[in-house]
Amino acid sequence: MEVRIGLGVARGGEARQWVGVDRWLLILSTLCAVIGGVTGMMAVHRGRRSRWTVVWMSLAFLAQLGFLSIRGEARQACPLVGIGEILVFLAWSLTLFYLLVGPPYRISLLGVFSAPLVALFQAIALIPGMLESSPDPVGGTTAWGETHAAMSVLGYGALALAAVAAVMFLVLDRLLKGHRLTSGLFRNLPPARELLVSLRRLLWLGWSMLSVGVVAGFRMPHGENALPHLISATAVWIGYAVLLGILQFRGLTGRRLALLTVGFFVLSLSVFALV
Amino acid sequence: MELLCFGLNHRTAPVEFRERFAVVSSRLGEKAAELGQLAGIEEAVVVSTCNRTEFYVAGTSADAAAVGLKELLGEGADEHWYELRKREAAVHLCAVASGLDSMVLGETEIFGQIKEAYRLAHEAGATGPVLNRLFQRAFGVGKKVRTETAIQEGATSVAGAAVELAEKIFGKLDGCRVIVIGAGDTSRQTAQALVSRGASTVFVTNRSHERAVALADELGGRAVKFDEWQAVLAGVDVVISSTSAPHHVVQPFHVEAVRRVRKYRPLFLIDIAVPRDIDPAVGEIEEVYLYDIDTLAQLAQEARGRRERQIAGCREMIERELEKLNLPGT
Repeated sequence: MEVRIGLGVARGGEARQWVGVDRWLLILSTLCAVIGGVTGMMAVHRGRRSRWTVVWMSLAFLAQLGFLSIRGEARQACPLVGIGEILVFLAWSLTLFYLLVGPPYRISLLGVFSAPLVALFQAIALIPGMLESSPDPVGGTTAWGETHAAMSVLGYGALALAAVAAVMFLVLDRLLKGHRLTSGLFRNLPPARELLVSLRRLLWLGWSMLSVGVVAGFRMPHGENALPHLISATAVWIGYAVLLGILQFRGLTGRRLALLTVGFFVLSLSVFALV
Repeated sequence: MELLCFGLNHRTAPVEFRERFAVVSSRLGEKAAELGQLAGIEEAVVVSTCNRTEFYVAGTSADAAAVGLKELLGEGADEHWYELRKREAAVHLCAVASGLDSMVLGETEIFGQIKEAYRLAHEAGATGPVLNRLFQRAFGVGKKVRTETAIQEGATSVAGAAVELAEKIFGKLDGCRVIVIGAGDTSRQTAQALVSRGASTVFVTNRSHERAVALADELGGRAVKFDEWQAVLAGVDVVISSTSAPHHVVQPFHVEAVRRVRKYRPLFLIDIAVPRDIDPAVGEIEEVYLYDIDTLAQLAQEARGRRERQIAGCREMIERELEKLNLPGT
């Protein structure tokens, strides 16, 4: 234990030299996401697939990794202190799932829809006051606490991507219903059934990770001030469980599933306000 | 060496004339080798499809080659035939390979047919350095035109438009189940197109059960009695309706009754009947995508229009590509 703390202090000291660069990396990542999104949208508007979106998103992902590793070293823990770090971790998790889920499935367009959300989360994190300029090491971390934070945010990443897929479905559904079939966007959108299958898988993945996060949250040492956060996280977990249960046993129209997925995700973000 | 293309196609000759000069695919190589024996011809490839018969030849003199070809073809060799030389012939081959000269603009079948004609001529020893290079380059240009322009985008027939929409809703059609209500010709074509793209199960129902059985046999499906089709609706993904009924055959309550059993999965309804078979109110059900004949015909028309607008760009691309290549014989 002594050795670990000693190393941590030394590495934390080294990492501190890099604090300041982290913000630039975050700006770089945000710019890559914006460029990826904009070039992707322009390509789609012209009726072509954007091959570059995945490249820009990969660059954004690398810059996110740089940011998170500097903050993680400085914190000597998972960098999930305050809304700013949580939003960046969430954006990283969303990008990670996009890069993992993307290839077998129309990567460029999923990227075009994911990039604005990543850019939005990171732009909010960049607002002055959202990120501590001098992150201190986190004292008293426990395995349960780290598991709670990391699994919950990873779960949110999967749920965020599910919300992105849901938006794509809603757009496609509207175009199909309205017989507006000539746009570049329509031609590039994946088939409705594939979107629904991906949406369902991402919901199960996100909910499973959230389950681990919620259990770990109750197992970690926590005071009364953490209760509202844990209760709201549990409420979100129950909400998704009910949604998946209905989907599994009763079935839902694609439109309702997509609307509920987006609605739940937006509502569930309120959990972070209670961190 | 000079290049010559001597041919006729659906624009220059009626079918009764085209069929006189058609060469069966099994004899394309033999015919090319035969042309190679004519005066002035050293290399030859014969392309023959239902819409065209074309002889691509290279030799020391295009004039002598043309005379030899006309003598071989005999009576009628002056009518309806076109004669293109050097660069014009190369441009024409690239245009044909790109689908620009096809009856259905941008169709893909011609590309394979030219490849096969070239392969057979090559195997028969009828090609040489000029035609080898020309055809290889034409395949490259054809591919480029097809991938970099929208010349083959969008379906140009009602059946094709329906299949494209089905693929937009379901992705791969493997495992898709289809019911055909009314054994009309367009519904048969549409069902055939769906089956060719992977639809696995086809049910056919018709007021005359014999016609349903006949169409089901043709499609490799199963005939269903006309008063039993509603039971099948719960298990299908696509409904094609084309009866001659004067009223709506498929009504909202038919779909409402099976929504729960279907677990609200997407349902694609294609109404190709006039008057319409499917009540437009069915399209208001959330998971239902309803398309009628007018919408599908309009989609096909728009696709044809989009393809036509690509022609000038495609021709410019062919000219640019040939400019770079500096092919012998052109």
